[in-house]
Amino acid sequence: MSDNQDEKTTKSVILSILAVMLMIAIVVPLMTSAPTQLLGESDYRLRGAFHGLFAMIFMITSTIGLYQALRLWRGSAVDIAELEIGSVVNAAACFLTIIFGNWVYIPYRMQGGPRSHFLETAPEIHKIFFEFKEFMALFTLPLTVVAAYIICFYGAKLIPNRVLRATVALTLVLSFFYFVVAFGLGAAITKLKSV
Amino acid sequence: MSIKTNLERNGAAQAALLSCAIGLLTLALVNLGTDISETFKNSVHALGKLWMPGAQGIGPYSGKETFALLAWLATWVIFHRLWRGKELNHQTVLMVFLLSIALATTLLWPPVFNGIAHALKGG
Repeated sequence: MSDNQDEKTTKSVILSILAVMLMIAIVVPLMTSAPTQLLGESDYRLRGAFHGLFAMIFMITSTIGLYQALRLWRGSAVDIAELEIGSVVNAAACFLTIIFGNWVYIPYRMQGGPRSHFLETAPEIHKIFFEFKEFMALFTLPLTVVAAYIICFYGAKLIPNRVLRATVALTLVLSFFYFVVAFGLGAAITKLKSV
Repeated sequence: MSIKTNLERNGAAQAALLSCAIGLLTLALVNLGTDISETFKNSVHALGKLWMPGAQGIGPYSGKETFALLAWLATWVIFHRLWRGKELNHQTVLMVFLLSIALATTLLWPPVFNGIAHALKGG
């Protein structure tokens, strides 16, 4: 009983310290600097920021998905509840990345935007690399949704089913591959000329 | 009497997998079509403008996304109704899926679809 109380007290103290650290990390920069300057001065900075934010979240969930794919492929022990939550979050991050990507595509295509800049100075950047990226990014959505669907639909029945485990693993690996292609090309193109 | 999906069968999963492949192949073929025909391109864009916010600024891409989404979701519903409680040969399903994804990816590489469109236009 005493050990349990000690453990609870330790956890409470740790969580409280972490909460204070988080508050300091947020409040001090806001009070002593202008972090919004990091977004730049473009009229479309918020669209780009959110597209990048969700792409970053998708990168994290997709990487976790890749690891889970390995465990599914090998037949290692997996936690279905974790897989369910993780795969749904993964698909949601993918969806939001695409939604904000659509939104930031508008200024990309505008006269005077990156597209017209590339067509004048280095046409292959748009005509090959960007046009390929915009389609490869779309591949991730049905793949992540299929993975989440199979996991959630079959639940615990997934675990002993070798074929389904391999199917989910395959879709998670493919979605990671297409994410890397889209993210890599998108980052490179943004580095050359952003909106 | 309703048909209950048998979770021991993989039909529902196979339906999801193949509909995904069809959606992506549709994306590739519609994109090729827009490169071949200006009229088709305008029709595709018009479809996107029916529902997608900002479709005017996004261009025909909005319609391509729409076609892919419709093909994916419609075939998913159909296949699920057909195959729930059943199971197709999983190796065949896997082969069809992978080949479709590979084909769609290849067709969407701009030098490929530009080249095909150019050849078909007789240019």
